[in-house]
Amino acid sequence: METLTKKMVFTDASMIITEACVRAGSDVFIGYPITPSNRFYQYGTQRFPSFLAGPDEITVMQWMSGFSAAGKFPVTATAFPGLALMAEGLNMAYAMELPMLLILTQRLGPSTGSATTGAQGDLMFLNGLISGKYPIPVFSHSDFEDAWDMTYESIKMAIKFRTPVVLLTSKELVMTNKSFDINKLKEIIPVKKFSTEVIEPYAPYKTGEEMVPAYIPLGDEKYQVRINASTHNDAGLIKKNDPESMANTKRLKEKFEKRIDEFTFYDYDKEEKAKKLIVTYGISADASRDAVGKLREEGEMVSLLIVKTLLPVPGAILDIINTYDEIVFVEENISGIYKEILFGVDHNPKIKSVNKIGNLISPTEIIKAVKQ
Amino acid sequence: MKKILTKMKMPFCQGCGHGIIVRSIAKALEQLGYENKDTIIVSDIGCSGLVDPLFDTHSIHGLHGRAPALGVGVSLGLDNPGKKVIVIQGDGGVTIGLQHVLEAARRNIDITLVVMNNLLYGMTGGQISGLSTRKFKEQRDFEVDVPPFDIVKLAHVSGAAFSARATSIKTYPDVMKEALEVNGFSIVEFSSLCTSYAFKKLDQLQEVIEPPEIFKNERIPVRIHQRVTNSLFDKLDVVEKQFDSKIKSGIGVVVAGSAGGGVQSAAKMLATAGMLSGLHATMKGEYPVTVGTGFSVAEVILSRSYVNYTGLEKPDVVIIVSEDGLNKVRGKIKDNDTVIIDSSLKTDEYPDAIYGDFVRNAGKRGAALAALAYWLKNSTLIDVDALKKAVSTHKYSKVLLEAIDKGMS
Ligand code: SF4
Repeated sequence: METLTKKMVFTDASMIITEACVRAGSDVFIGYPITPSNRFYQYGTQRFPSFLAGPDEITVMQWMSGFSAAGKFPVTATAFPGLALMAEGLNMAYAMELPMLLILTQRLGPSTGSATTGAQGDLMFLNGLISGKYPIPVFSHSDFEDAWDMTYESIKMAIKFRTPVVLLTSKELVMTNKSFDINKLKEIIPVKKFSTEVIEPYAPYKTGEEMVPAYIPLGDEKYQVRINASTHNDAGLIKKNDPESMANTKRLKEKFEKRIDEFTFYDYDKEEKAKKLIVTYGISADASRDAVGKLREEGEMVSLLIVKTLLPVPGAILDIINTYDEIVFVEENISGIYKEILFGVDHNPKIKSVNKIGNLISPTEIIKAVKQ
Repeated sequence: MKKILTKMKMPFCQGCGHGIIVRSIAKALEQLGYENKDTIIVSDIGCSGLVDPLFDTHSIHGLHGRAPALGVGVSLGLDNPGKKVIVIQGDGGVTIGLQHVLEAARRNIDITLVVMNNLLYGMTGGQISGLSTRKFKEQRDFEVDVPPFDIVKLAHVSGAAFSARATSIKTYPDVMKEALEVNGFSIVEFSSLCTSYAFKKLDQLQEVIEPPEIFKNERIPVRIHQRVTNSLFDKLDVVEKQFDSKIKSGIGVVVAGSAGGGVQSAAKMLATAGMLSGLHATMKGEYPVTVGTGFSVAEVILSRSYVNYTGLEKPDVVIIVSEDGLNKVRGKIKDNDTVIIDSSLKTDEYPDAIYGDFVRNAGKRGAALAALAYWLKNSTLIDVDALKKAVSTHKYSKVLLEAIDKGMS
């Protein structure tokens, strides 16, 4: 409902994301404590309909998969060390096509690095996380409002496409408090979980036009459900080197590619006639917004693209980028991971990169790079 | 009633013990009256992981060793407690995922775990597992005298409602029935002969099998509870503008002290006071992972406009109330900052700094807030009454208000 009154509170994005999860219909938070995702855990214990404390991240991913297979929507939050332990389980959930949300709060690596220092270092790992480089959807947020919106979109996507979704964030994004008008947040309607339209005769992995199998939970009274992480046929049974099974495997990529327009999210602040474009995401977006504001005050023409659908890479993002003569990527990591995903490691004179570790990239550093 | 098993031929090698176990599970289910869709088979990796198509039930096939954890999730996620979750794995699966078995037992989750123990990894060529025997033929160097895990006893001491080992084929269906009737976590280790590798790899085959046994714990199974909760936002104070501020565009304040010294809460009060004065506020804290020792630093930005970038390229005001805090911000203070330091800190690094007796007057826990009040009173950028208003809803408001008064005196 539209409202004109303001409701100013002092909060953080961990709270906003947790609240959005529950409003969108998430059933259970399964947590293993890790900095800087601890606020999710703490808010999760207070707000989720159910909460479970896992003994390690491998178990967390298995419990989540079990819940999801039984028809409940699970959420967890972790950081890279936890994600690394979940990698095999995430491949399993991905192959089984189980909806779930993983909130990944990035911190400085490698290894345990600095638990309380933010970073944007995990996108490359996510890009290759699924063996065979099948795309796992990775969304990011850049302020409180889109923390809310992108959480909602992540859950909608997870259920619509029957897939684990990663909401990529970082320490400073979810642990910085800000004054915020919560009346700005849009209404969230709980996402309907189960399929009502089933192609008869039912087979657990049979799909139609949408390329996503019906979501029927284990234990269903009408349909016999078989879920499988190994290469499987439509019946959900292991079948090697068989056209139906191979089609099912390929479909894991195709379902996203074919329908990518349904989940392409970005903020494009276009300056007419600008030849320069700043491309960024997540925690570096705020500094980029400030930098663009100052550059324009100084008469510099520059556009800003804040990417929210990081993976798989939507064509729309590349279409925008390709209209510019000079592109400046801003990311808090050592080499420019997103840049490398889009353009590889080859030196391209059109592309600049502002990178830093251990601290936020400042607007001043971005301005300097754009002016160079 | 429909048969629990499909018509599929057993996929195991000739004479493999796994087929007998599968038939025993089916027989027990049928005798207990379970229908096909009442049962969910959760399978692991290895020869034991070939069972899915044998059961004409629901099934889920996961990873090596993780099936008990997957089964826990399924069991807790089901709305209908009348469904039976049966997890099947081998001794290799138990070895790699031992934690999951103990965790399920500890919580007494309502699943039945079937361990097909053939004392080796069959699918990969007969290697030794954690549940194998000392009679393994292959050279194992110093491991020769290492005993196998007794998963039955381990599950029992972890809290399983029912733990059993069955070694004679005749007893299989009955032991399985008993396990299925348990409300909670039950585990049965069945001895299974791997015809492909057992004779090659094991000595004195009769002796390697542990004796049958049954253990019980009287326990209620853990079930998941669905709660109705309130919005997290309900707990937040809604702040409305009640005061005016002289801050023109924006100001950045750093409060540096020791953990446990009220630094973070003082900074939050300042942010709230800013909001009460119609300003936008941001705050971030930095402190070691330990609690109550070392530094505690907070950064607050108060601004007329919405704050995007929350990094402080250069603070305007730095308040230091302890040695830990001083050490942490040293080097970050620029020439033209306002620096307010507690007089107990003898430092001549900042010749223009203002000194005050915050710790002596307001105590260690009140010093940060007292110093903020002192700064506000002298700068008049924000009304001190806004700070007082900010602390008024705090559970220790009385002490905090005293600290503010001490800071201003
Ligand atoms: S390898 Fe051994 S355990 Fe596996 S099916 Fe053959 S006999 Fe059975």
